[in-house]
Parts: sequence; structure tokens; C-alpha cells
Amino acid sequence: MADVTHSVSVFEQIRLVAGLRWRILRNSLRKKNNRLDLIGLILAGVLSGIFVFGLSFAFYAGAYAFLSQGRMEWMALLFWGIFLFWQIFPVFVAGFGANFEFRTLLRFPLSLRAFYAIGLAYGFADFSALASVCWLLAMTTGATVAKPGVLPAMLLIVAVFMLLNATMERLIGSWLERLLARRRTREIFLGLFVLSMVSLNFLSPLMQRYGASARPVFFRLLPYFVWLPPSLAGRALAAVIRMQPAAFLLNFVLLLSYLVLFSVLLWGRFAAQYRGEELSDSAAPGRAAIRPLPASDDGPDRLSLLAPQVAAIVRKEFHYLTRNGFAYFTLLLPPLLILIFSMNFAGSHPTVGGKGVSSDVFFPGMMAYLILILMAPAYNSFAYEGRGVQTYFTAPLRFRDVLLGKNLMLVSVLSLELGLSMAMLAWRVGLPSAHTFVATCAAIIFTIVGQLTIANWSSITFPRKLEFGQMRGQRQSGMAVLVAFGAQILMGGISAVILFTGNWTGNLWLPAQVFVFLAVAAVGGYFASLDALHKLAEKKKEVLMEALCR
Amino acid sequence: MPEIAIQTQKLTRRFGNLTAVEAIDLQVTAGQFFGFLGPNGAGKSTTIKILTGLLAATSGSIQLLGLDFAMNPVEVKRQIGVVPEGMGLFERLTGAEYLKFVGRMYGLDRPTTQRRSSELLEFMQLADRPKTMIADYSHGMQKKLALAAAVIHGPRILFLDEPFEGVDALAAGALKALLGRMTERGTTIFLTSHVLEIVERLCSHVAIIHKGQLVAQGSLEELRAGVAGEAGSKTTLEQIFLSIVGQDGTERPQLEELSWLM
Repeated sequence: MADVTHSVSVFEQIRLVAGLRWRILRNSLRKKNNRLDLIGLILAGVLSGIFVFGLSFAFYAGAYAFLSQGRMEWMALLFWGIFLFWQIFPVFVAGFGANFEFRTLLRFPLSLRAFYAIGLAYGFADFSALASVCWLLAMTTGATVAKPGVLPAMLLIVAVFMLLNATMERLIGSWLERLLARRRTREIFLGLFVLSMVSLNFLSPLMQRYGASARPVFFRLLPYFVWLPPSLAGRALAAVIRMQPAAFLLNFVLLLSYLVLFSVLLWGRFAAQYRGEELSDSAAPGRAAIRPLPASDDGPDRLSLLAPQVAAIVRKEFHYLTRNGFAYFTLLLPPLLILIFSMNFAGSHPTVGGKGVSSDVFFPGMMAYLILILMAPAYNSFAYEGRGVQTYFTAPLRFRDVLLGKNLMLVSVLSLELGLSMAMLAWRVGLPSAHTFVATCAAIIFTIVGQLTIANWSSITFPRKLEFGQMRGQRQSGMAVLVAFGAQILMGGISAVILFTGNWTGNLWLPAQVFVFLAVAAVGGYFASLDALHKLAEKKKEVLMEALCR
Repeated sequence: MPEIAIQTQKLTRRFGNLTAVEAIDLQVTAGQFFGFLGPNGAGKSTTIKILTGLLAATSGSIQLLGLDFAMNPVEVKRQIGVVPEGMGLFERLTGAEYLKFVGRMYGLDRPTTQRRSSELLEFMQLADRPKTMIADYSHGMQKKLALAAAVIHGPRILFLDEPFEGVDALAAGALKALLGRMTERGTTIFLTSHVLEIVERLCSHVAIIHKGQLVAQGSLEELRAGVAGEAGSKTTLEQIFLSIVGQDGTERPQLEELSWLM
């Protein structure tokens, strides 16, 4: 019979998991593409180091200044800064985290206690935790230099505060994991996240308009903040310095209560995971019900002008668009952006103050910006195909049909979006003069069609698989991003120079004429490129499938 | 002279220094149920990928139904159906949408695509979830859908890479019946499988690939007759396979070394 294994200590298990994560990283660097990513990783590491070191000095100086000037309550501000960073930053950077499934460890003989301890220990291995610990140590040093007697109390408060933050961060992460386990929830969450980020742009004009009236409400809420952990930590420290043991005890016990509460909740979550909580959303096969065949859709084919294969691709792309909750939200972006920019730079909103940019400049500028955003996905247009990409190579069609179908769908969406945005612009800012309008419309055709050729090449040459509605581990190919930037700067630069030639030469219709010529050339070039891209796709099909079929 | 459905000459595929498939000469007659066997990493999936246009050959030629694949890729693809490794499904479509998509890709008109999609979904017992996306299908359901998509255009050759993996016994029975009917009507089926019992029950002809080279090819009777120390007609395909693939003695694990397990 097999031997009975000895129990492994929690420390040894933590060490083994650390080794495992290291090997995963090291082995991933064997691939050429990942080695290129390492350069980015090192660069990010250096910048993060500078960021952490710089702020450590600021926390040191802050703690020193507050204590030496007798502003003990202000220490709570420093605790608040660290608390917010520790809890919010991990949610923001979820997309750049290592793709390590912590729950996979459950297959090994771990006790729940060990699982909890390992989980918590890895809470300290995140960037936000490491940075926060550095800042807390810097704060402790600053406070001790200002008032040496405060060191024991400071160490005690900081230790509890660290543990509380690590526990809370793991708890939020664990709840998020549960919430985002279902695909639809994940997509809605991601869409809301992006929308909320964009909506931050409304803050400035809203503050300008309503800031004064909102201030009393904020001040009324302020007293309630004192019962939250960062304020409790600050108040406990202040009580120590003022020699008020009762106040210290009250605040410290409350801080400890938070720690106990979060620990109990986290224990509950980890226990559920330990018992094998199933978060997957794949449906169990049900009993087949006898049901009539669906009515055949014999209605008129709205895409009958297209070849059947191209029409099939357009329909498939449409289905994919309607299934992508995140894409829905991004479709809302263009009109939203026009609203934001017109509130800031143009139009009749009071925040612009009558010094708005003229519609002759605002209109082409806004259109260029929208194309910049809307064209970006075209540079990795096979990202969501997954294993389905194999169908394009087993089906009897030329790859040019695939590109044509995908591009047609994109152009349709772009037309709709730009049309809506133009209507929004007309309402908010007004339409530009006729020559600028015609020139901009022709420039739009030139830049979109011109970019499509380059984007198709980029999609075939630098594919990168992305998952719908997922934040973790979602990164575009670095080369595709570079190509996109390069192409957009080139197209944007050419268009800007041509637009200004009208003013320089005094012939206001010259840009329109040039853009019409360029648009025709771009359309011709696009169709001429399809055959070459078909050959390229055949040549690169192994790269495409290797990247997308993982 | 029977029609040759699949013929390869000196088919070779190299990945850098590794030769995954080396100078394979395959010949499959039309209407045969052909099993393509080999140990893990022998080159089965690479061969099937080359035969279906998913991978380019380094050298050699392929003729399917008398047509040179390299010269007439589109025409050849019209005649074949494929269930590739990983199934190649668009997971964001429903089963019906996917079948309609594939039908149109193979040039079927809309009413035919619609009718066949419905019939196939019913046959595969997938019709009761019209709004479920493929991403939410179980592995077995995805396998059945991939097979439905591979046959929707009535292919003359069907390539199946591990078609029964993850399919329950009930569905597997129905699929085998379907495939049997297809061969009776003249469809050539080329399948790879690790389950030798299935291959033995379904296939009339077998080829075995080992370390990238074709080491045996013929009908089951021919292979039985060719095995050294033959035990007559009672020799199973597993015995044939092991005697051919494990004949150099290096493949069989030495159980004595694992005495601590026993």
C-alpha cells in the first residue's frame, strides 16, 4: 500500500505555494512573447518602486509633522489614505494580476486552518499590500522620530491595522470572485466599471456647478466616518499621546472588533470554498423535452446582396455583439464622451463660460477622438473567436470573406455610432460650416478604411485571445497596440495637416477635395489588400490558431 | 477499382527540429470507416490537422476525392466535414445559430440550413435549450454540436478527432448509429480515438502511427494476420496495437520500479 504522508506545516505549505508561483512565472518566460512582456514587467517594477519609495517619504514626513506639531487627529488622514489604496487598488489592477487559481490548492491535503492561513498570507503578497506595509512602516518611523514614546502603541495599532486590511482585502476579493463567477454578472460589472471610470469626467463640471450646495451634506456625513477603521486607528494613537487610556482602549477595541468581524466573515467564505463551493455557471444537461420544430425563417434575406459566407460572418459578428454586455456599454461611450467634452470645452453649458471651442474645430476633433476609440478593437479583431477560428480554415471559403464580413459589421457599427454622435454634436455644439463638414466626413472614410487594411494585417499577425467580460489576465498584444498607435498617429497627423491647408491656402474647399480623393484611394487600396491578406492568413494560420485556441 | 477518398504521399510536417509526421503514405478507400491510432504524441492530431487544412505540410501531397488539396483547397473543403481537436465552436452563439452559421459557410441555402439545423438539434437532443449559449453547454453537448456542424452539409469525407470523448453512453450509441448509416451511404469516416474498443467495433480499416511514422495500415483482418505469434481471429485491436507500438520494449513502464505502490 501507499505510505501515509506526514502532515506538512502551514509555513512549509506557504513556501511551497510561493515556489509554485515562481515556477509558473519562470516557465511562462520561456515563450518569446512573454519574454517581451518581462521588459514591461521590469519597467513597471521600477516605476512602482519609485512610486512606493516616494510616498513612503511623504508618509514619514506627514507622520513626523502631525505629531511634532501636535495635530494628532490628522494621523487618521494618513490611515485613510493607506486604507483606501489597500482596498481599492486591487480591484483596479485585477487585469494585470498573475493568473493563479488559489482554489486549485484544495486538491491537496490542507486543513481549513492552513487554507485560511495561506489565503491570508497571500493577501500580503499583493502590490497594494506590500506598498501599504512600506507606508505604514514609514509612518511608524516618522511618528517615533517625532515622539519616541509612541513606538509600542504605534506598533500595536499598525499591526492590527495591517491584519485588518489584509483580511478585508481578501474578503472583498473573495466576494467579488463569487459575484463574478457568472459570466453575465461579470460582463455587467465590467461595463459598469468602465462607465463609472468614464463618468468620473463629469465630476469637474458637476463640482463647479453643484459643489457649493453639496458641501453641507458632506460635512453632515463626516462625523459618521470616525467609527470606521482608519479613523479609529488615528484616534487610538491620538489618545495614547494625550495619555487618555480609556479613549485608547475604546478605539482599539473597536478596531479589534472590525478585525474579528472581517475574520469571521472571511473564515466563512474560505470554509465555503474549502467545502467545494461550485461557482461555475455551466448548466447541467437537462432532460430533452419534446417540442415542435421552430418555424423556418423563410422571410426575406436582408443580407442577400452579400455572398452567403460574408453574410454568415456578418450575422455571427452581430450575435457576438449582442452577447457582449461590455460591448453594449462601450457603444454608449461616444455620445457620453461628446456630452462630457461639450460640457468642458464647447457649447452653451455654463461651465464653458462662453469661451468654448468653435464647432469648426470641435467637430473634426471630436470625430477623430471617437475613431481613435472605436477603431482600437479592430487591431485584434479575432480576440474573441477562441477555438471557433478553426472553422474559418476548415470551411470552404477564402479568408478575404472573413475579413470582409468582420469589417462590414464594424463599419456598420461605426456608422451608427458616428451618426448618433453627429446628432449629439449638432444638439450640443451645432454643426460646422459646410466645407468642414464635408471634409470631415471624407476624412472619416479615409481614416476608417485606411486603418482597416492595417488593422486586418495586425489582427492576423499579432493575435491575442481575450475572454468576454473578464478583467483578470486580459491584455492585448503589445505589438498590436504599437501598430494601432502608429497607424492612428499617422492617419490623424495626415488628416490634421490637410484640414489646416484650407486656412493656409485660403481655399476652404481644398481639404474636402483632398479627403475625397484619399477616401477613394483608401477604398481601392482596401479591396486590393484583401487578396494579399488572404494569403497572409494562410501563411499565418498556425500562429492564429496557437494564439486563439488555448 | 474503388474510389480513393484520402491519399497522401510522403506527407511530412516538421516543427523546428522535431519531425511530428514523417513521410506518411496513407490510402483510404471511399466508404471506409477508418481508424487512425497511435500513442500520445505520435502525430495523430497533426496528421488530421494537415488533412483538413488546419496545418500546412512541410512537404508531401494530399489528394482528397481525387483533388489535390494544395491546388483546390476550397473545392476540397466543400466535400469534407471536420470535428477538430477542441471542437472549434463559436461559444457565444446558441446551438441553432452556430449550425445556421456553418450551413451558410458551406454554401447551403437558407431553408435547407434551417431545416437541417432543426433536425440535427433534435437528433442530438440539443433542441430543448434554444437560448443557451454554447459556452454554457456541457462538454458532451459541445461534442454533439460539433459533430452536427461537421455533417450539416452532407460531407463525403468526415474527419473526427476523438469524437466520443466526454459523450455519454446514450449519445455515443446514437452517434455511432449515425456514423454507421453515413458509411453505408458512401461517406468515408476518418477518426482518431484512444478508445481501442470503439475503433475495433466501428472501423473496418485501421492505420497506426508511431513516432511520426506509419507503422501499420490495413483492414483489421490483415492486421490480425500480420501480428507476430498470431492467436488467430481472437486477437483484439489492443493486442495488435501493443504488439506493434510497444514492440521495441521501451514503451512499457517497468512496474517493478513502483513496488511501493503495490
